[in-house]
Amino acid sequence: MEDHEILTKFQDPASRNLAFNQLVRKYQSKVYWHVRKMVVDHDDADDLTQDVFVKVWKHLENFRQDAQLFTWIYRIATNECLNFLSSKRRKFLLPLNDVGAELAAKIEADPAIAGDAIELKLQQAILRLPDKQRLVFNLRYYDEMPYEQMAEVTGTSVGALKASYHHAVKKVEEYVTRNTED
Amino acid sequence: MKTAFKLDAHPRRPRPLLSEPPAGYFDKLPTKIMARLPQAEAPQATSRHWLSFLSPAVRTSLASVAVLGSFVASFYLSGSAPLVPATAPTAALDAVPRTELVGYLLTSGARVENSDLALLTANHPGIAKGFLQVSEDELNDALDAQPSEDATYL
Repeated sequence: MEDHEILTKFQDPASRNLAFNQLVRKYQSKVYWHVRKMVVDHDDADDLTQDVFVKVWKHLENFRQDAQLFTWIYRIATNECLNFLSSKRRKFLLPLNDVGAELAAKIEADPAIAGDAIELKLQQAILRLPDKQRLVFNLRYYDEMPYEQMAEVTGTSVGALKASYHHAVKKVEEYVTRNTED
Repeated sequence: MKTAFKLDAHPRRPRPLLSEPPAGYFDKLPTKIMARLPQAEAPQATSRHWLSFLSPAVRTSLASVAVLGSFVASFYLSGSAPLVPATAPTAALDAVPRTELVGYLLTSGARVENSDLALLTANHPGIAKGFLQVSEDELNDALDAQPSEDATYL
């Protein structure tokens, strides 16, 4: 179902649930992996993904359609991730690096990455980035999102995003180089 | 000298190497999400019937009282001795205006369970007949209007 159809059907109380179910099925995978890349843990990603769609339900009626629907959903998901990670730090009084280390430990324990040393170092490097910079890196490197769309998702200027990504790449390359045996 | 790692030269994966979610996860996720959605507000009343102005919780409570009351009434009329003789408290309860009853049920934190209603009507058989005056059709309409807790979605 196209986005405009979903939005039209959502406005009608008789078809709202069906429309929303279609919306969830259409975007659940993208939202899940966007969140999962940030929080690493599946259970955390599951909770946050559900939270995202509950918020979408609450606010979709007021969606002004001045941006693409998915860009709007992505923005909600992004804010949920950043709030979750901030809350984690505040709750456990963890400094920036400890949360990164915790996420890195989860990556190391993930069976999918076993045996791939370079990929492991790459993931460790990415997880050491500050949350917002890591977000920009994920959106550009993995999702290949255009900077203009990324600006709508993050509420940051295109110039700032390009600079952030450039610095993120430098940091990642330096870390992997420094921590990889010849 | 170490070979510098270049991100552009590294094979780019569509996403980090993370384990896949459990089997069937995306099949079940929509149902989990739909179950968490806030209950829809009652539809705008198109009829002027007094039932449509009450909240779903009150309508459910009144419908439950009516059903229990009909059981109690049929038991009572069958000739069996009343479970509890009517006493002054029954009369006092029968005298409670409907508006006060509705106000009590609408009080935040006040929860009337079916067991409460069963106990109430068992101890005061006449209470349902005293203040409840709805037809069977009205009760059925109220019951049909209640959202099903186990609704599933396509």
